[in-house]
Amino acid sequence: MRVLRFLLISLFGITTLTATLSAQAASDEDAWQILQKAAVAARALSYQGIFVCQSGQHSRSVQIKHLFNGQDEFSHNVVLDGAPREVLSRGGDLVIYNPKDEKVVIEKRRGQNMFPAILPTNLDAIKASYSLRAGEIERVADRQAQVLFLEPKDNLRYGYKFWVDIEYGLLLKSMMVNSKNEMMDSIAFNQLGLMNNVDLDWFKPKIDAQKRYVMEDEAPAQVDNNPSPHWMLNELPAGYHKVDQMLRTVNGKSFPVTHVIFSDGLASVSLFIEPMAKGVKPRVGRSVVGNTSFYSNVAGFLQVTVLGEVPEATVAQIANAVVFVK
Amino acid sequence: MNEQISALIDDEIALEDAAHLMAAMQSNGHATEAWSHYHLIGDAMRGAATLSPGFKQKLMQKIELEPTALSPNAALINQGQVDTTQAGAQTLAVKSKLPATWSIAASLAAVTMVGYMVLQTQVSNDGAPVQVAQAENAQTAANLAVATEVTIPAEYLMAHQASAPTGSSYYIQAASYAK
Repeated sequence: MRVLRFLLISLFGITTLTATLSAQAASDEDAWQILQKAAVAARALSYQGIFVCQSGQHSRSVQIKHLFNGQDEFSHNVVLDGAPREVLSRGGDLVIYNPKDEKVVIEKRRGQNMFPAILPTNLDAIKASYSLRAGEIERVADRQAQVLFLEPKDNLRYGYKFWVDIEYGLLLKSMMVNSKNEMMDSIAFNQLGLMNNVDLDWFKPKIDAQKRYVMEDEAPAQVDNNPSPHWMLNELPAGYHKVDQMLRTVNGKSFPVTHVIFSDGLASVSLFIEPMAKGVKPRVGRSVVGNTSFYSNVAGFLQVTVLGEVPEATVAQIANAVVFVK
Repeated sequence: MNEQISALIDDEIALEDAAHLMAAMQSNGHATEAWSHYHLIGDAMRGAATLSPGFKQKLMQKIELEPTALSPNAALINQGQVDTTQAGAQTLAVKSKLPATWSIAASLAAVTMVGYMVLQTQVSNDGAPVQVAQAENAQTAANLAVATEVTIPAEYLMAHQASAPTGSSYYIQAASYAK
């Protein structure tokens, strides 16, 4: 009798346990779907509003207009505080109007992760390195938002807290946090509405007649197709893979520097490799400023410099993965 | 009553006509409160920043933490004793390897930093912090230099942000780190 009762109790226990587990799994799966929807909504909806970015001691308000006309994505972002920097984007092509003293420098860039489109539409890489769980419903920018916690599976990346608009599916707020749950930076709408109009009369910079507009001096980067570089990479930190490699001019250097970019789907790290110049002391050091970690060391005759918005362990591992090859 | 007090603060009521308001404020607790609240709101809107709460305590704490060092080396040892974590030990190891030019560069950075602090505090129209900042002498600057880690070279940070921008770096530029 006692055995039977024990069995019954354990059976009941197991059933409830599996029920909780599957409920958990379902809600995790739901959470990923909400995140997936947020990644798509940021690109496929037309909206306008004002968001505030905060990083370290600095904060800027930005006015955004974003239009998807069924084929192309257009956005116009104007920084409202300090210098009136503007970013116009069409798909992944960006044109930045960057006021510098009496001039406005026009810079051309590539970029696909401007807020609120900070998530890639393919979340596989992120699923490999982070886990996701749903939190409460909170109010952001006068809208109801589902809170999601994207937590790193190791100490090689920062975590995120996302607020996703329940009605529109848009990301309303994103906050990057370190392992102590301290805020590293945040971007949040404080005003948001959908746009119904498809005309594009707003898709132009505000020209300041008092200023001279100039193109950026030279193409800052070119393809790096050196077949036999004097370096190779050992094991990279888990989850990070190379996404780009180029030769670029760096201010104050007379020769181009190899620039390799790594990403885990959300966080990016830059690796710079250059031959050590004669008579120049090698740079060895590390630091963490706000959300950015920096690490530099020497591999053979090469100066290695790594930095990115990641924990210090990640930049150190990447720097130490560089091996000099004769 | 509150509207009249507000108007008085904004110089919209002549002082001669405000005798009854003065009398009311002396006798009426609410009116006195409104008077001080409106002044506070006015100060806040004009951006006349008051010191953060607990400013004095924080300042005294920082002064307590400053090593009483007669030479930069002593400061280094002091710091080593306080910071016993592995990261601290690494920093120490790296620092002791740094060539002399680094500490000169770092001193320069520290002096710039102190200068910046002086400038900053002068903007807030408050006498006390300016005096504190000016009291920072060369010796303190030297201690600061030892405590300063390697600064991130702005040219690499700008290159990183240009080719691998994330979230806020589209709008908050490397140049603002350098400032």
